[in-house]
Amino acid sequence: MKIGNDDLRARTFKWLFGRNSEFWPTNMKTGMWAWVGHRLTGIILVVYVFMHLSFLTQASLSHEKFNSLMQVTAQPAFVFMDFMLVCAVIYHAMNGFRVVLFDMGVGIRKQKLVFWIMMAIAAVLVAVGFWLLFDAGLFNGEWF
Amino acid sequence: MSEHRIATSKVAGTWAWFFQRLSAVLLVILLAAHIIAAHYWHVGEEISVDTVNERLKNVAFIAIDYSMLAMVLLHGLNGTRTVLFDFDMFIKRRKAVDKGLWILGIATMIWGIVILWPFISG
Ligand code: HEM
Repeated sequence: MKIGNDDLRARTFKWLFGRNSEFWPTNMKTGMWAWVGHRLTGIILVVYVFMHLSFLTQASLSHEKFNSLMQVTAQPAFVFMDFMLVCAVIYHAMNGFRVVLFDMGVGIRKQKLVFWIMMAIAAVLVAVGFWLLFDAGLFNGEWF
Repeated sequence: MSEHRIATSKVAGTWAWFFQRLSAVLLVILLAAHIIAAHYWHVGEEISVDTVNERLKNVAFIAIDYSMLAMVLLHGLNGTRTVLFDFDMFIKRRKAVDKGLWILGIATMIWGIVILWPFISG
């Protein structure tokens, strides 16, 4: 039987977001959350790389523009966004390490435990990163 | 969207799979160096054209920055390819997707090299 495009679209939508979809929050287990998070952070990082290059382009085009742009990004809200980016990298890297371990045949049977061990390490790294920024006064006491 | 998802290595190729792992391991080292050196070493210091200039006088920084960009592009776009190939729409056009990503990657690499050049040459 041939299915029309609209039909396919509706089915795809249900497959992705429906109550029975494997992506419905209550249907997701640890491994699935880990994968969704990995994919999301991966995509965010790719987008960021292009933003990063754009900012640097401003610098090579006009020094005044770059310097004032850097002053804007030194505001606490932007530092916080930078910090969120560091969190994304740390999550992606720690879970990526977990995936590589599994591919080498290490720890698959204990994948949940491995996930939480990695997240514990990630939490320590995030805390250290936060402390360094906080200690340098980059949040300016505005938020914290 | 594919109704039945298959292992990434089968769709995207074993080399793509292997390379994703290799670049991941290299990225951990490079990214750590880049983030610490560029953001945490002199944390709190103002960033301006002058400070970037100063930093890029050091060959080590240039090496780190350029190899980082190459790795990030290879890893990031290879990863994007995996994501795209989860959709029928793109897997039907594998050749075009591959070509597009290579062009994007190479163009971005050139872009990256060019924009750091004024800093390096002074
Ligand atoms: C810090 C070092 C990093 C490590 C250890 C790492 C590790 C990994 C690994 C192992 C995979 C394969 C996952 C799988 O096949 O299930 C992967 C996928 C991916 N990575 Fe990274 N990565 C790192 C940094 C980055 C960066 C900087 C970017 C962005 C430019 C990025 C973007 C992606 C994307 C888009 C995918 C595909 C996601 C998917 O297939 O669901 N990664 N990463």
